[in-house]
Amino acid sequence: MSTETLERAPVKEKEPLFSKRRKKIFSDPLNDDNPITVQVLGICSALAVTVQMKPTVIMAVSVVFVIVFSNLITSLIRDLIPNRVRIIVQLAIIATLVTLVSEVLKAYNYEMFKVLGAFVGLIITNCIVMGRLEAYAMGNSPKDSIIDGLGSGFGYAWIILTVAFFRELFGSGSVFNYPVFEKIGWASFPTNGLMVDSIGAFMVLGVLIWIQRTKTGYVEH
Amino acid sequence: MRQSNAYVLLFTAAMTIIIGGTLSVTNQVLKPAQMRSIELDSKTSILKAVMTINKGDDVLAIYKSQISGLVVDIDGQNIETDAKGAPIFADKVNILRNYKKDPKDREYPVYKFSSADNPGGVDAYIFPLYGSGLWNGIFGYVALEKDLNTIKGVSFGHVGETPGLGARISSPEIQDRYIGKTIFDENGTLTSVTMLKGEKRDPSAFGPHEVDGMSGATITAKGVNAMLDQYLHSYEKYIKSIKQQEEI
Amino acid sequence: MELLSLGIRSVFIDNIIFAYFLGMCSFLAVSKKVSTAIGLGAAVVFVLGITVPLNWLIQEYVLKLGAMSWISASFEEIDLEFLQYIMFIAVIASMVQLVEMIIEKFSPALYGSLGIFLPLIAVNCAILGGALFMVQRDYVLSEAAVYGVGSGAGFALAIVALAAIREKLKYSNVPDGLKGLGITMIITGLMGIAFKSFIGIAL
Repeated sequence: MSTETLERAPVKEKEPLFSKRRKKIFSDPLNDDNPITVQVLGICSALAVTVQMKPTVIMAVSVVFVIVFSNLITSLIRDLIPNRVRIIVQLAIIATLVTLVSEVLKAYNYEMFKVLGAFVGLIITNCIVMGRLEAYAMGNSPKDSIIDGLGSGFGYAWIILTVAFFRELFGSGSVFNYPVFEKIGWASFPTNGLMVDSIGAFMVLGVLIWIQRTKTGYVEH
Repeated sequence: MRQSNAYVLLFTAAMTIIIGGTLSVTNQVLKPAQMRSIELDSKTSILKAVMTINKGDDVLAIYKSQISGLVVDIDGQNIETDAKGAPIFADKVNILRNYKKDPKDREYPVYKFSSADNPGGVDAYIFPLYGSGLWNGIFGYVALEKDLNTIKGVSFGHVGETPGLGARISSPEIQDRYIGKTIFDENGTLTSVTMLKGEKRDPSAFGPHEVDGMSGATITAKGVNAMLDQYLHSYEKYIKSIKQQEEI
Repeated sequence: MELLSLGIRSVFIDNIIFAYFLGMCSFLAVSKKVSTAIGLGAAVVFVLGITVPLNWLIQEYVLKLGAMSWISASFEEIDLEFLQYIMFIAVIASMVQLVEMIIEKFSPALYGSLGIFLPLIAVNCAILGGALFMVQRDYVLSEAAVYGVGSGAGFALAIVALAAIREKLKYSNVPDGLKGLGITMIITGLMGIAFKSFIGIAL
């Protein structure tokens, strides 16, 4: 439901695809309203797969796919869903999409499927996906829901890719399995075992949140 | 009307049919590709123990023409059917599930490898392995030369060892250390090959039954040692029976 | 002995929060007061302890290849694993609904303080994660049960410990950007290091 009724002319005009309002829907979750660092959602799987860049990219793509399509589908049938089974229907839509992603991954990229393992299935419980469905898709048009999905998806993606970048670089000395330090002549770079481990993930994410929140000025109380 | 019981039931029934239908169709369509991926994955691991696999290689064709599998029990006797009476195949045996059984009750696959210029002959024997590393399972294959004493190669995998430490067992650097080592000593006792603690990096410092360790990954190394030792002892009766046959 | 070792491992070494990061959302949101943390922890132990073995039964007798051969031999070739996520989530959601009704009946105070977080256990990564790991590791029923209760206990331990620390942290001077989520992440990381000290223990 659009809240922009002020500028409406007597004859309803079609809103341009990249209107200011829509741009805001997309850009808000990238920084000011970032799902991970501000809304505190989707942390779970974000940390576990970020040991290396490659699985993280697959994860990011999968999550964006699931958020966008579940937003779209939910928004399309939002007037048909009975209130009592709302949550279950949302869960069913998400579970189906995640199953699709998992089956395709198993068929065409078995190596990554093995690396990601159970974490593909855990996209279902990724709070961001459910969160967007409840907060946005249930009450907005399909077009807007797609944009919101893309925004939240990318907001999530850039955070986990940044964490993965540092964890792989300092934990294994490589980026996308390319041995960076070896190539620049520092072959005995002391890789930090903590980075590869859960602890490194928490620390990097904590620091990233600190930087991001200081820049946007968001303070939690 | 939208909130009435009848509508809710109708809606959920419709959803169930649509979801069930979509997933079933996807599954049917993707199943061949999935089975192929899984097959490719396990056959590549087996072949990696005896040769280097390059990106463009037709793994399935190589496997088909150069590997033949059979299953034996702890006494080295051939097993044709499983507990339920169904025919048993080497590559269908679930190693993890068998690992949980008592070693006396396990099914032990054996893969015989013939090199490209010796079709029909056996140039290597490959045995699957399973064990526990530091965090989770470790597994792989050990390949023995025709003499069933010298190691032709190993290929190791792991579920979740630490990258840079325990995870090194899947790197060629570590696996190459086993090539040429022997598992029986001069008296004919099975001693397996042990990975030592610490890392000296001087290949001449090790005997025929020892390999250099991994610095910082002692627990994983111990897991590998235990795994090799246990499985080689389990296959010992089979190995001895083949050696006896050769001598005849 | 194996089961005891598995149980201890699931609580300390394989801790579902510190080793696998599952259950972070409710972990971060509910860990502000020790009393709510204990309530949530207990609920999670209960839900995990029941859903993991329950899902094991479904995996074993309905989903995997040839699982339904107990109904009829002609079902030998049927493989329903692609329905796994849907079935597991359905079981978990129903179980949580049940727990919610029980808590509401027996302890309205706890029900009130847990608020929205109780139904959110259904989408808690830890619950689904527990079931998925159980499948990945090919546990038998007894192992699945021990693993379920063990990981629930590990979660409860972690969340209560974090709540205790955060209560004390109220009197510290945390920089603005770090307040709340940031400092909690770092604390969790430090706690993770502490739990690592249990690794070398062999039972």
